[in-house]
Amino acid sequence: MSELEQISTAILQGEEEKAPKLVNRALRRKVSAKDILENGLLVGMGEVGVRFRAGDMFVPEVLMSAEAMRASMELLRPELISEGVKLVGKILMGTVKGDLHDIGKSLVNMMCEGAGFEVIDLGFNAAPEKFVEAIKEHQPQIVGMSAMLTTTMRAMGYTIKAIDEAGLRDRLKIMVGGAPVDAEFAKRIGADGYGSNAPAGAELAKQFAGAA
Amino acid sequence: MLPKGKLPVVVIACQVLEEMLDRLLPEHGRSVSQVTFMDYGLHRVPSKMAGTLQEALGKVEEPSLIVLGYGLCGNGLMGLKAGKHTLLVPRTDDCIALLLGSYKAYRHEFATVPGTYYLSKGWLEAGSHPLSEYEEYLPKYGPKEAMWIMDMQYQNYERLMLVTHTPADLVEYRPAAQQVARFCERWEMRYEERVGSDAYVRQLVEAAMALSQGEELSQAARRDFIVIPPGSEIHQDQFIR
Repeated sequence: MSELEQISTAILQGEEEKAPKLVNRALRRKVSAKDILENGLLVGMGEVGVRFRAGDMFVPEVLMSAEAMRASMELLRPELISEGVKLVGKILMGTVKGDLHDIGKSLVNMMCEGAGFEVIDLGFNAAPEKFVEAIKEHQPQIVGMSAMLTTTMRAMGYTIKAIDEAGLRDRLKIMVGGAPVDAEFAKRIGADGYGSNAPAGAELAKQFAGAA
Repeated sequence: MLPKGKLPVVVIACQVLEEMLDRLLPEHGRSVSQVTFMDYGLHRVPSKMAGTLQEALGKVEEPSLIVLGYGLCGNGLMGLKAGKHTLLVPRTDDCIALLLGSYKAYRHEFATVPGTYYLSKGWLEAGSHPLSEYEEYLPKYGPKEAMWIMDMQYQNYERLMLVTHTPADLVEYRPAAQQVARFCERWEMRYEERVGSDAYVRQLVEAAMALSQGEELSQAARRDFIVIPPGSEIHQDQFIR
């Protein structure tokens, strides 16, 4: 198994201690931080997303993988910066009104930060007007919304409508995600894109920022 | 188009509705040809739910009116194909509306406190609640890690609510619910109780009887139920209202 494969496997298996050790070793061997991120960490996390959706992985394992990812990113972030990974843009993220699930959203945040974005997190149960106010204040290029329930995902549509009515829609790209969300739903509510898992969300953000 | 003439009624429902359906279905005697209750755990993996239900549908040989005792259940019903049958489904996201008695009652509770974890007789008996989840994690992850997993999942919840259909059930299941409530105090969740009603499930049975006799659904019933004709399948947007 190659060095990067070992890293992605450690993420997939949620090895909070082993993953950063492997990252450290790869760095010492002059593997670039960007390579470690894109071909190690993100590959592992992408697989976590796929398996979780298919019902082959459950919440505890996903949480452990996220922890392994977080610990690895802590180590990698300064290296990414010193390698000159540029700030590619600003993202406003939030779990929509009525929904208090923030595990997935926090994961996307982590991925986007890794990809060079500044992330402003509105937390959970964020009302449409909260999104609108924050867009005015922070002027992001991208807005990301998350929902875990079919009861709450329609709030994404209401939020997009509020952004539109405030005259802010044209200057933004909007991406959505979460367990019940799919590409068809994203299209129906007028979002610009949909990410089926955390790395896919970050990838989408990069495309929107023209940094992919 | 719905088939003309009479159709046999087949019920495929989640165990959570077993008691209500067992009580309501006999009122309609022989018009119900088959009742199957599916495992509670099905909703835990929505992506596998449609496949399991499709299999159950496939076992029904004669073209029938199949009553699905489910909500959209985290998209678990999405993609389910009617085939030669006609499907009747409550237009609700999940079974909480069926337990509370109406979609309106559910929306009210949801709007009041979005972060509510609901407990029912069925889930208490099946051990589907945060306390049993913790007990399940304990041997696998140890106390510290198991509690961390719980915290990550439940720390944003505000309320735990026991929903039953009769005051007698409330008294009977209160001790078990309160045990879960004590565990959930860790996240400052408050405990509440509701006596729901069987009205929504009763309407489901009535709608099934009407359809099986070749009658049309009333306007009110069309708001609360979805009818999938033969050859069609279940979509997410049919549930949104």
